[in-house]
Amino acid sequence: MLRIRDLSVGYGEEPVLDGVSLEVGTGRFVSLVGPSGSGKTSVLRAVTSLLEPLGGTIDCDAAPTEVGFLFQDDALLPWRTVAQNVGLGLRIRNLPPDDIDRRVTSWLERVGLTGLGSRYPAQLSGGQRKRAALAQVLVLEPRLLLMDEPFASLDAIVRTRLTQELVTWVEKDGLTVMLVTHDLEEAVSVSDEVYVLGQGPRADVVAALKLALPRPRDLLQVRQHPEFPAAVNGLWQALTGAPDSEQKES
Amino acid sequence: MTRLPKGARRALAGLTLLVVWETLTRTGMVDPFYLPAPTTVAAVLAELVATGEIWPHLGATALAAFAGLLIGLLLGIALGFAAALFPFVAELLEPVMILLNAIPRVILAPLFVIWLGIGLASKLALATVLVAVLIFFAVYNGVREVDQRLVERVRTLGGGQSVLVREVYVPSVTAWVLGNFKVAVGFAFTGAVVGEFVASSRGLGYLLQFAQSTYNTSLTIALIIVIMGCVLALFSLASRLERRLLAWRYQ
Repeated sequence: MLRIRDLSVGYGEEPVLDGVSLEVGTGRFVSLVGPSGSGKTSVLRAVTSLLEPLGGTIDCDAAPTEVGFLFQDDALLPWRTVAQNVGLGLRIRNLPPDDIDRRVTSWLERVGLTGLGSRYPAQLSGGQRKRAALAQVLVLEPRLLLMDEPFASLDAIVRTRLTQELVTWVEKDGLTVMLVTHDLEEAVSVSDEVYVLGQGPRADVVAALKLALPRPRDLLQVRQHPEFPAAVNGLWQALTGAPDSEQKES
Repeated sequence: MTRLPKGARRALAGLTLLVVWETLTRTGMVDPFYLPAPTTVAAVLAELVATGEIWPHLGATALAAFAGLLIGLLLGIALGFAAALFPFVAELLEPVMILLNAIPRVILAPLFVIWLGIGLASKLALATVLVAVLIFFAVYNGVREVDQRLVERVRTLGGGQSVLVREVYVPSVTAWVLGNFKVAVGFAFTGAVVGEFVASSRGLGYLLQFAQSTYNTSLTIALIIVIMGCVLALFSLASRLERRLLAWRYQ
């Protein structure tokens, strides 16, 4: 679905990322982990053309309209109601109003925001705003979903619950996902593959880990799986620069 | 002791001030020539209304102020958007607007009188310039400092420039403009009154100039009260408009 080759990205003279290559297969859930400032977010911004790469190639089978991007901030329009925010992408695509209403209502129900469509974002809790942001992206039925630490600002309970719901939707709809996170346990618990970025500047992929954890995935049960601690440990070693961190498989 | 509500405390303070003022002038401690008693000012005000003398002047000032406010708003919004969206327009406009913003713009009043005469046009021009410069910067800064996360959000949802203007820039700038709207109302009245003060045959500024030249302190204070009343009434309307248009902020 997504092939990135020798990607270089920078905001000034010196590249933040240099020579990053990775692949996201159709229907796969791939995570990208790395230390703060390693340029994880820049990879997603380059894929969505928010950032012009300095070099390298990005091949994506999905059209730009089939790529959904869930930001770290919910970034809902404060002057639009929740329903209007969720339907924003549909209005941009000029869908008939009846169709927009039907899809928005359906997704508000799916993300647990039934009855809150007429509220403004400031009237929602942090978790509810994330749900609205998620519905805003998923209502467009993307083939490729890019996520930049979408639930990082939430408390542990809400975060786990939302992540579980997201994983269930992704598995049900067969979505292809690329998640950026700095949480190694989260990366292992949701992913089929994890790429590790080294410390920037000129960060590169220092390890790639394929996971054979069962699906459908229960985020609490998967942590009891015998391979889980080894996978997290492998990522930790790759991040901290242990000598055996190149191309691990579990 | 029970604490009085804020409104009651303010009314009590105002009443006390009026009583002290009245006493000072009645007892001769302050010369009424310089500061006439509140009751004298009130009598002048009542006479202005009763004889109907005030209305043509109030109408002339209100027309110049409202028209200047409207044209200034439209001009400021158009120029602000043009400068924010097109760099070559900003290159031309920004230095002129910075210069106009840096000077006390009422100094342009004599020039407008020479160019446009002592009629409505010169007052309208001054009120327009005062308002347009203020609104230009509100819009220009509003567009440039718009939340980039919202811009990127709309872009990743497939929105182009026209969608960005409709969904992000206009609502964001509306908040900036309404934040400056009350000041703009004050500026519009300032432009109209100062324009009339410099040269005119009617309007509150003309009456004010007449009152000053005849050392009529009662009439001067009465006219100042009329102007303050007008601006306060418009402030109240502007507040209602702001709460209506920015309902999302007050929910």
